[in-house]
Amino acid sequence: MSNMLEVKGVSKHFGSLRAVENVSLMVAPGELRAIIGPNGAGKTTFFNLISGFFPPTSGDIVFDGEVITQLPVAARVARGMARTFQITEIFPELTVRENIRIGAESAAGLRLNFWRTRAEAAQVEAAIDEMLTLTGLTAQADRLVGEMSHGDQRAAEIAMALTLKPRLLLLDEPTAGMGEHETYQIAGLIHRLHKNSSYTIVLIEHDMRVVFNLADRITVLDQGKLLADGTPKEIADDPHVQAAYLGSAE
Amino acid sequence: MLQVVLFNVTNGLIIGAFYVLMALGLSLILNLSNVINFAHGNFLALGGYFAYMLTPAIGFWGALLVAPLLTALLGFIVERLMIRRVYNRDPVYSLLLTFGLAFIMQDACRFIWGPNGLPLGVPDSMSAPISDQLFFITWYRIFNVAVVIVAVSGLFAFLRFTRVGVRIRAGTLDLETVSALGVNVSMLRSFNFGLGCLLAGLAGVLAAGQIGLNPNMGDDLLMPSFIAIIVGGVGSLTGTLVGGLLIGVAAALTTIVWPAASEAVIYVIMAVVLVLRPRGLMGEEGMLT
Amino acid sequence: MSGGFDRRWLQLLVIWAVLLAVPFWLPLVGGYTALAGRVLVLGLAAMSFNILLGFTGVMSFGHAAYFGLGAYGAGLTLKFLAASTPLAMLMGVLLGGGLGALFGLLIVRRRGVYFAMVTVAFGQVAFYVAYSWNDFTGGYDGLRGFSRAPLNLGFTTIDITNNSTAFYYFLLVVFAVAVGLQALLLASPFGRTLLAIRENERRARFLGIPIERHIWLSFSISCCFTALAGSLYALLNNFADPMGLHYSLSGEIVIMTVMGGMRAFWGPLLGAAVFVVLQDYISSMTVNWMSFIGLIFVLVVLFFPRGLLGMLQRRNAA
Repeated sequence: MSNMLEVKGVSKHFGSLRAVENVSLMVAPGELRAIIGPNGAGKTTFFNLISGFFPPTSGDIVFDGEVITQLPVAARVARGMARTFQITEIFPELTVRENIRIGAESAAGLRLNFWRTRAEAAQVEAAIDEMLTLTGLTAQADRLVGEMSHGDQRAAEIAMALTLKPRLLLLDEPTAGMGEHETYQIAGLIHRLHKNSSYTIVLIEHDMRVVFNLADRITVLDQGKLLADGTPKEIADDPHVQAAYLGSAE
Repeated sequence: MLQVVLFNVTNGLIIGAFYVLMALGLSLILNLSNVINFAHGNFLALGGYFAYMLTPAIGFWGALLVAPLLTALLGFIVERLMIRRVYNRDPVYSLLLTFGLAFIMQDACRFIWGPNGLPLGVPDSMSAPISDQLFFITWYRIFNVAVVIVAVSGLFAFLRFTRVGVRIRAGTLDLETVSALGVNVSMLRSFNFGLGCLLAGLAGVLAAGQIGLNPNMGDDLLMPSFIAIIVGGVGSLTGTLVGGLLIGVAAALTTIVWPAASEAVIYVIMAVVLVLRPRGLMGEEGMLT
Repeated sequence: MSGGFDRRWLQLLVIWAVLLAVPFWLPLVGGYTALAGRVLVLGLAAMSFNILLGFTGVMSFGHAAYFGLGAYGAGLTLKFLAASTPLAMLMGVLLGGGLGALFGLLIVRRRGVYFAMVTVAFGQVAFYVAYSWNDFTGGYDGLRGFSRAPLNLGFTTIDITNNSTAFYYFLLVVFAVAVGLQALLLASPFGRTLLAIRENERRARFLGIPIERHIWLSFSISCCFTALAGSLYALLNNFADPMGLHYSLSGEIVIMTVMGGMRAFWGPLLGAAVFVVLQDYISSMTVNWMSFIGLIFVLVVLFFPRGLLGMLQRRNAA
């Protein structure tokens, strides 16, 4: 079985700043991979490379067998890649339902439509309801997203990403800035998504409980370079990782 | 023929100098505070009117020094009272604010000093032409260009070598970091706004000596200033300098061959730049998006 | 939420009732029908502008250009081509909307104040052409010598030339069709992508929405409707002039929109009504009307940024 995502020796230099240096990553379909590392390790830059925010200085990215290194964001989204951001990126003055609707209509190819047929409307609304149920937001469907709790906002953002029916889900610090209860809520959501094996998930996380409970494999980055790659047990036992990160972590 | 060319090139440089002075002030404010100062032309007019009021008391040279400072002070006050409040909001508000201020200021000038033109007395020695051959160039015009050169050099030196100047430049690139380093960003912006108005006021005094005062005198220079900034590249003061000179000279040279089109050529240059190099001659990609 | 729904229908009912009955109640309060016409036309211009500002989140400060081009297009058609009102309107839309769409292609990658600057500059180019091309456009004095032609509907002819009440209803019909189209557009999937762009451009891009293309579409559509308003203006006054292109009018369109509430569909119309009436009243009272207009700008920005309908929305939601 071939890999869903293959990142081969990718580097990103900003002038003399080497944000990412020769990092490789192989993610199997249906896997949940966590990327960890100290602050400034280049994790978000790495994500930006995978999602297409900017092209790598060198190296290749292969998505489900197709080389996508130079493709722009929209093309990668069209091929089944979805992403959430460190600071939740949602449409604050619209309701949850309206937020998800925009994703659903984009996914259904209705972006340039000046009207909806009844069949299209039914299809989109059904997709929205499905997402609301999956993320547990049905009760809040008509609340303005900007006014919801952190955890719910993140859930809404994930719901939006899911409407694109992605094969690869990139989550950048999904539990960032969340309290105990919200972390549990989001971790639970991610776990549910993982059980549905059609989603391949790669996430950046700082919360080690989330990482070690959810991940199939863990990749460790430090100062832009690959430090270690393995199962949770292997990573926990790795002395280099302990020295660089786990020892001084929360 | 040579005389005609010389006449027009000189004119072009003088006009260009004014465009540069105006545009630099506008550019300073735009770069640091993300505000288009629609009232810039009115600050120019005020500079001239202040000089008019001051000349009887402290003479032309005194007015030349003090009027721009007064204009700067007014700009500083306006910024602290009003413009400062809308920085964190949608940019449409700051634009509307300076727009409204322009209306108010223009009407105020008309109300205080009347709608008709007023003369600004210039020392007699300067009204004389520099030679019989070059009768169209008076010493005053040379003086104008000289003042602009001094002012612009002074500005660039200020931005390069003084602490405040460096902070302004850094703030243009990354305001957050500057703030994190403990700089009072609010004061910096106010000062910067005042600085921009200083340049406008100076242009006003110089222009008044040449064409006299009237409430609308800044209008003719506002649009070319915009275009100087667009052509030179948003975010780059050197670009604004180049842009201003370029369009000034281009307009003047066009007058030689096709007088009616001399104003149009400025717009044509802008169109060409927008098509071929949208970020401007010296602008950087991603500046002020 | 049926409460909200009923309120929307009630709002619509009130608005149309007021608009339909204008020839009856306006003279009673000291107004004149042409003033109402002015409100409709500028209201349409502001609502068209708001497609771009309030719904897409893109700031143009040169929208008067398309208004003025629409006016000149209509006027020139009536003067030189044919005495046909529909043709005049069409040509106005083509001129303003077409040039707007072309210009939009050039600037669609810019954002924020830089975008606003170039839109102002474009407006001034149009202004310059209008006042210099004397032979064609009438220069500073404006374009005269044309008037709106009676509407020949085949089975009957409506005299909108001389009958000002008939002309008012003609304006109202065109207005109704135009804003009806706008409402449909904004409620469609395409309209929702515009909201997405306004709310969070990055997120919209990451949902697969081609930002630049949609901004260009929003800009072009906005220009077309604004040009339509301009052509109606020319019909209203039997006159088109360079000041209709000047950036001062652009600023007025913006303030009308913000004053009425840029996040509400009907906000700009309300703002236009208030502004036009105020402007009319103030300029008849004092020669310093410019200061008062400027003061309105400043007061709205500092104290009423959400606009009239925006404040009402807040109060209802709370």
